[in-house]
Amino acid sequence: VKPHTKWLAVRVIAVQVITLVALWFLQSTYGAG
Amino acid sequence: MSWIDWLIVFAYLVYVVWDGVRRSKGTDEIEGYFLAHRSLPWWAVGLSVMATQMSAITLVGTTGQGATDGMRFVQFYFGLPIAMLILAVTLVPFFHKARVFTAYEYLEKRFDGRTRTLTSALFLLSRGMSVGVIVSAPAVIMSATLGLSFPLAVALIGAPAVVYTMFGGVQAVTWTDVKQMVLIIGGLGALLVVLLLGIPDDVGIGGALSVAGATGRLDTFDFSFSLNETYTFWSGLIGGTFLMLSYFGTDQSQVQRYLTARSIDEARSSLFISAYWKIPLQAMVLMIGVLVFVYYLFSAPPLLYNLEHAATVQAEAGSEYAALQQRYDDAFQARREAAIDLATARSAGDRALAERITAEFLAGNDELEAVRTDALELAGRTTGENPRDINYIIPAFVLSELPIIIPGLFIAAVLAAAMSSISSELNSLSTATVIDFYRRRFRPGESDAHYLRVSKVATGFWGVFACGVALYAVALGSLIEVVNRFGSFFYGSILGVFILAFVPFARGRGSFFGLFAGMGTVAAVSFFAPDVSFLWHNVIGAVVVVSVGALLSLNAPPDDGDRAAGSAAERAAA
Repeated sequence: VKPHTKWLAVRVIAVQVITLVALWFLQSTYGAG
Repeated sequence: MSWIDWLIVFAYLVYVVWDGVRRSKGTDEIEGYFLAHRSLPWWAVGLSVMATQMSAITLVGTTGQGATDGMRFVQFYFGLPIAMLILAVTLVPFFHKARVFTAYEYLEKRFDGRTRTLTSALFLLSRGMSVGVIVSAPAVIMSATLGLSFPLAVALIGAPAVVYTMFGGVQAVTWTDVKQMVLIIGGLGALLVVLLLGIPDDVGIGGALSVAGATGRLDTFDFSFSLNETYTFWSGLIGGTFLMLSYFGTDQSQVQRYLTARSIDEARSSLFISAYWKIPLQAMVLMIGVLVFVYYLFSAPPLLYNLEHAATVQAEAGSEYAALQQRYDDAFQARREAAIDLATARSAGDRALAERITAEFLAGNDELEAVRTDALELAGRTTGENPRDINYIIPAFVLSELPIIIPGLFIAAVLAAAMSSISSELNSLSTATVIDFYRRRFRPGESDAHYLRVSKVATGFWGVFACGVALYAVALGSLIEVVNRFGSFFYGSILGVFILAFVPFARGRGSFFGLFAGMGTVAAVSFFAPDVSFLWHNVIGAVVVVSVGALLSLNAPPDDGDRAAGSAAERAAA
């Protein structure tokens, strides 16, 4: 796998982590628990 | 809708047909018609991949799901980025190096002709049916909300897509997809802004989220492990990965998108657009639904969102409906007051008071839901049709509550979402028909011009077939799940065949009979264990095909496909 592809993969994972953390924040702050 | 809104819709329809048909100039060869001579840029292909997946069902059904059920549906997509990463390093380079028109053509190079024929036939069967559902979903809603006759709505959605796909081929599909995706995002963005601005000042965004959260609509993550639950973290991550691997890796409607890319790297980059944006986009779509729920906490919601059903019930069971409406109005007022008190208590930081009001608010919400359940039951009894109205929530909201231009933009976006999926599917159905059957089995050795003519006829045939199916698909229930269920019967098993291609000793006999074993097992599971979520069918199908296929391949002699092409899997891996 080329370094370019690896770098793209890392960025994809980073965007997902940020999204999931945002959703987790919504749930933990406002959710019904 | 006002005439200005109709003008927006009409302008969209005229533009999209003109834009698609003008692409026919460059498509005078079959490779141009189906693969754009493998010349398209990654961003156009990537947007086309996303537009193909985002049908009108996503736009209307998922927002409705956000309004009634909240954010947890987003878990369904948790496997998508993983699937894209896997495909980028496995099947994408595979298909590009093999220079194939269809994913199934590759299976003949690797295994044998019968495996190709069977997988392609399964694709034609399942996609041919599901494209009908993709036409009918927005047609049902448009006929009920805009007062159009159902066949007219089907024609309005189906005909333009058929025309530009038939004449313009994949160039038309891709470039209209790009513009349609822009329109869809624009429509969603406008809706989000209007909803955020519509939150009452004394409630605020924080208060609105608190109230929505109290009903559980902001509970995204469910970490319980259950084979029977579709919307859990683990079902989405594991089952979803297999579903997305199948859809993006083995379904011709998606494979054909990235086969048009200029190079392997551009094809990879195109898939990464979905990997980046699918979950955030889906979260935004669901959040729009949640905000519509919030909107209706403070403005009276309709008792039935399907206005056609509401009119029929009012005409035929007027007194019963009026009594329900009275109960509904009372429950709404009680819930509204509790919601305002709750938002105020939360923003004041008074936790004890907030907890007490939460109970009051939830009781009001339960009462409102109970009246709705009775009204839906009455609608079902009176109309004799499925009364579920999740798919009508957003259209009813947009058409009755939002100012001029937004309804037109929204309807155009729904049409764009439908057409972008329909066109890709028609294009791929035509490709599989001509390449895997007509040219391979019935009329090999004809001229390129001949195949091009047949391809256009095949596109037109599938378009007419899809519209025909659409006319009968209304009774199929929840439109979101119908499409996914259709696919899950075959999807996992077909994925298993492609995984088997990576097993060096796998043979055609193993792939062919393994495929039957996989489909048989999934059928048995859905019959004897109907509670198992369809997401897990993909895992079961793939695992059974690989296991049985590998076993049957042990000590099997090499077949013609193997001798002709060698192990393409090994070559690609090398």
